[in-house]
Amino acid sequence: MSILTLKNVCKRFGETEIIRDVSLDIEKGERHAIIGPNGAGKSTLFHLISGKYALSSGDISFHDQSIANKKPYEIARLGITRSFQVTNIFPRMTVFENIRCGLLWNQKYGYSFWHLLGRQQDLNAKTHALLEEIGLGHRAEIPAGELAYAQQRALELGIAIASGAELIMLDEPVAGMSHSEAENAVALIRKVTEGKTLVMVEHDMNIVFDVADRISVLVYGEIIACDTPQAIRSNARVQEAYLGEVAADA
Amino acid sequence: MKQLLTKSLVWIAYLAVLLILPQIFNSVLAITIFNQMAIAIVFALSYNMLLGQGGMLSFGHAVYFGLGGFMAVHALVMIEFETFYFSIIYIPLIGGLIGLLAAVFIGSFSTHKAGTVFAMISLGIGELVAASSLIFVSFFGGEAGVSADRTYGPPFFGIEFFQDIEIYYLAAGWVFIATLFMYLFTQTPAGRMANAVRDNPERAEFIGYSARKVRFISFCASGFFAGIAGGLFALNYEFITEENLNAVTSGRVLLMAYIGGLGYFIGPIVGAVILTLMNSLLSNYTELWMLYLGIMFVLTVLFLPRGFAGFIMMHRVAWVQKRMQSLVMPYLLTGVPAMITAVSLVAIIEMLHHRGEEFHFLLVTLSSTSVFSWALVLAVAGASIYAVRLSLPRLHSAWEDANKLVDADEDNARP
Repeated sequence: MSILTLKNVCKRFGETEIIRDVSLDIEKGERHAIIGPNGAGKSTLFHLISGKYALSSGDISFHDQSIANKKPYEIARLGITRSFQVTNIFPRMTVFENIRCGLLWNQKYGYSFWHLLGRQQDLNAKTHALLEEIGLGHRAEIPAGELAYAQQRALELGIAIASGAELIMLDEPVAGMSHSEAENAVALIRKVTEGKTLVMVEHDMNIVFDVADRISVLVYGEIIACDTPQAIRSNARVQEAYLGEVAADA
Repeated sequence: MKQLLTKSLVWIAYLAVLLILPQIFNSVLAITIFNQMAIAIVFALSYNMLLGQGGMLSFGHAVYFGLGGFMAVHALVMIEFETFYFSIIYIPLIGGLIGLLAAVFIGSFSTHKAGTVFAMISLGIGELVAASSLIFVSFFGGEAGVSADRTYGPPFFGIEFFQDIEIYYLAAGWVFIATLFMYLFTQTPAGRMANAVRDNPERAEFIGYSARKVRFISFCASGFFAGIAGGLFALNYEFITEENLNAVTSGRVLLMAYIGGLGYFIGPIVGAVILTLMNSLLSNYTELWMLYLGIMFVLTVLFLPRGFAGFIMMHRVAWVQKRMQSLVMPYLLTGVPAMITAVSLVAIIEMLHHRGEEFHFLLVTLSSTSVFSWALVLAVAGASIYAVRLSLPRLHSAWEDANKLVDADEDNARP
């Protein structure tokens, strides 16, 4: 059963066509990776799904309901959450506050100005539990902007999953990390996306082939292949367009 | 539990200070100043809901203060003519509701974006309302403004509010309630999300919140409390003019919040107290007090970007580690010459201002035509600047020592 469906999605900026007629089905519960060379439009595709950019044409539906051209916060409320390629947290607020803000909407607080957050024991307990899960329990009270880079990435992941969304989209979650940091991050991603659907953009092929159930290859705004890791590895077009050069680099 | 206790103690102390102050300083001048402070505190705190908490730089916050104040004066007139008849203690609430109403209307389009767009809209609205105050004379009273008499209402437990001290206690009550509610607002989901939208509006949208709606709620709350401050103004002065909703008043509240410290809840209170004191005391001694205020603002922006409250909070580490006493001497060694430098520079400015005339300055008589005057102030300025430069390295190293953490690794120092 597919949870997210893209139908003939196009995105143009002026004359430039960044995403060309992309159709894609994300199955419920799968871990799906989108790979492709720089400038292929991977992040743009994320921005289209999460509502940051409006579609030029085509349709995107989540649980068979169209989310095309909905506002980011409306899409987030439906159960799609995302992280960003560039760390995107609330730097002046504490780590604890960052996570708690991520939980608020899902916990039905809305825009309330009549609940005192200090008294919401259930909410605060959930926040602490999530902090422990992402390994930031001991950093709860410092401003998020003061965290080390890998910790900020973990925090961002925490904010994303705090919403309780079914579909989690991660844009290069281990970019810029050392090898051991990346290993920890992957373990964390596996843990927190258990039982959920994951779509991620990633450059590190080892991680992609390790984590993903299926892989889509995006080249110049078009999906040239979408299959299991084994099939992608042996796909001639992919070899030619992308993997070959990575292998040559490595 | 312990935290709750500490917080309650802070609030009790705040209330106690509000109540005891006029008993200690009970001159007419002091009470006048306290009343101004009370108004300024509520106004500056309401401004910080926008700028400090919500990241919205407004150049037109006096609109909500002024509209609330005008309506409050009109309400006093209605009480006088018995259109309505209720105790004047509720007047600030009327100001608040008018501020809220104006904020709902204006916020519905101005909170769409933060940053430059918001700032420009606030400036435009500020000018618009200030200009219309001279057009709609029946409500705003033209250049003369509108006035009323607060003593016609029914007595409140026998108090008829003839005296400023009675108004002070009324204002103090409102200040306490308004401060408490503005603080509690920061502890609610809407208040916390205001911080989140300030820090990163894009991220806030992706966790389910419309940045615009979050800003709108803060904006309305801010307008409400600014209106309460306007109502207090109306009660205290019994008149209000166009000046109270124009750019001058808007600028002053920005200065208060900034000089006090935007990042801290207590900052605007500190700023309101400092600016009210400067306004009322300094203006007795010099015509140039606005210039000094401007210089102080520039110096704050340059050297204390987190305001006076930020300066106080900088000492937290030293305080926790009980090393404050090691800072006292270095502070005195640098601070006293720095004060002397400031005084001598003020003397130079005053000499230029009083061109040719003799005037009294502290213990001496100065004149810009006297060679002795110039020699004196320049010598004092030079010597004190030298002393500051000599003592700075010591202050610097003392500061480093006082802030050294017991454990080098901060990560491990935390439980």
